[in-house]
Amino acid sequence: MSGSVSTGDLREWMRAFRNAVHEHKDELTRLDSEIGDADHGSNMARGLDAVIAKLDPVPATPAELVKTVGMTLVSSVGGASGPLYGTLFLRMGPVLGTRGEVDADTLGAALRAGVDGVIARGKTEPGDKTMIDALSPALDAWDAAAADGPASAARAAAEAAARGRDATEPLVARKGRASYLGERSAGHLDPGATSATLLLEALRDTLAAGE
Amino acid sequence: MIGLVAVSHSRALAEAAVHLALQMGGDAPPRVRVAAGGPDDDLGTDAVAIAAAIDDADTGDGVLVLMDLGSAILSAETALEFVAQPGRVRLSPAPFVEGLVTAVVTAAGGGDLETVARECATAADAKARHLGADVGGPASGASSDAGDRGDEGALSFEAVVTAPSGLHARPAAVFVKAASRHDAEVRIADLETGADEVSGRSLLAVMALGIRQGSRVRVSASGPQAEAALEELRELFADGFGEG
Repeated sequence: MSGSVSTGDLREWMRAFRNAVHEHKDELTRLDSEIGDADHGSNMARGLDAVIAKLDPVPATPAELVKTVGMTLVSSVGGASGPLYGTLFLRMGPVLGTRGEVDADTLGAALRAGVDGVIARGKTEPGDKTMIDALSPALDAWDAAAADGPASAARAAAEAAARGRDATEPLVARKGRASYLGERSAGHLDPGATSATLLLEALRDTLAAGE
Repeated sequence: MIGLVAVSHSRALAEAAVHLALQMGGDAPPRVRVAAGGPDDDLGTDAVAIAAAIDDADTGDGVLVLMDLGSAILSAETALEFVAQPGRVRLSPAPFVEGLVTAVVTAAGGGDLETVARECATAADAKARHLGADVGGPASGASSDAGDRGDEGALSFEAVVTAPSGLHARPAAVFVKAASRHDAEVRIADLETGADEVSGRSLLAVMALGIRQGSRVRVSASGPQAEAALEELRELFADGFGEG
């Protein structure tokens, strides 16, 4: 089964993401208190708790699962991460279609549609010091490694995301509450890029466990 | 009548702003719904709740959404994916409080969705003009009572405002609605203050004149239907806008 990802795998991914966000909640909130409104960790933790509650029983297909995740996030997070992460998952659904399981190419294409949705929603581009700075390089890495299967693609994507996250530190924020700080936003990791990296690391860990 | 939705991080902020705005709504205010606050009654926004508020505010003539900042905007945009009739929903770039007041007044005055959205888009202008005038000293140009300084070819009449509230709120809305019905460029000047004359099609601009009861105004019009426009407007003044 290393070549395909099931609905159950995707639920495990969400559980792993929820756990990682809880584990890093204080760190996310600290990062957000330096350049934002200090609610990213608690908002994401709350939203993901709601997501996990909605995924039992597990939805019938991957597309239904991501739709449930997206709708729950836009309604339960509270801050800007709600519509942004929510849009990411909502946009994945149409690409996943009616498939019961998905391969690396399809999952990569779905993630690409999701990230394009985030870019459109946030009017963001790479270098703005946002979650896109982790997600965009991650998708490029995913595509380059997709031929080796989803577990390899996720590993490459998580590494690229972490590099992208680290590269946000010197940047001046151009979007969100951090942009009000101007030059003072430089010198801190972006909280959104940090949680986005946790998202891809959670996928990496989930798919590695299934290999 | 169009409906309105107030989207804010804070329920208290939204309810207070709506309360303030509805004081200008007269006897038949538009339907206003609040979508504010996040889960746990904390600060935040909820796209699903916003979508429900939009559907609830829509009586068939469309909905204008006023937002505070940040995630309120992102969540309102996201909500458009869930509403029943996204084609008749507009998100206003207006500042929250000024936008709500303008929207309530112009909607109660019978403005359609496009008209109200357009008025709201310039909702901050009156404040800017006011502060600009303060900074730059008193407005220049004393009143020129019987003056005929209007555009060449423009027809005009003068009248005294008898409505108790002046040419404000509902009377102003009635005036703008009548002025907008004709293919004519209608303008109005307050001859008491001598302020620059403004377009009679803009409710906010007319309201910003602050024309009081007893003030003499000059209404001018040019264009194909100038005569008909002035005739109707003259009758409104004679009738005291139904409030005399």
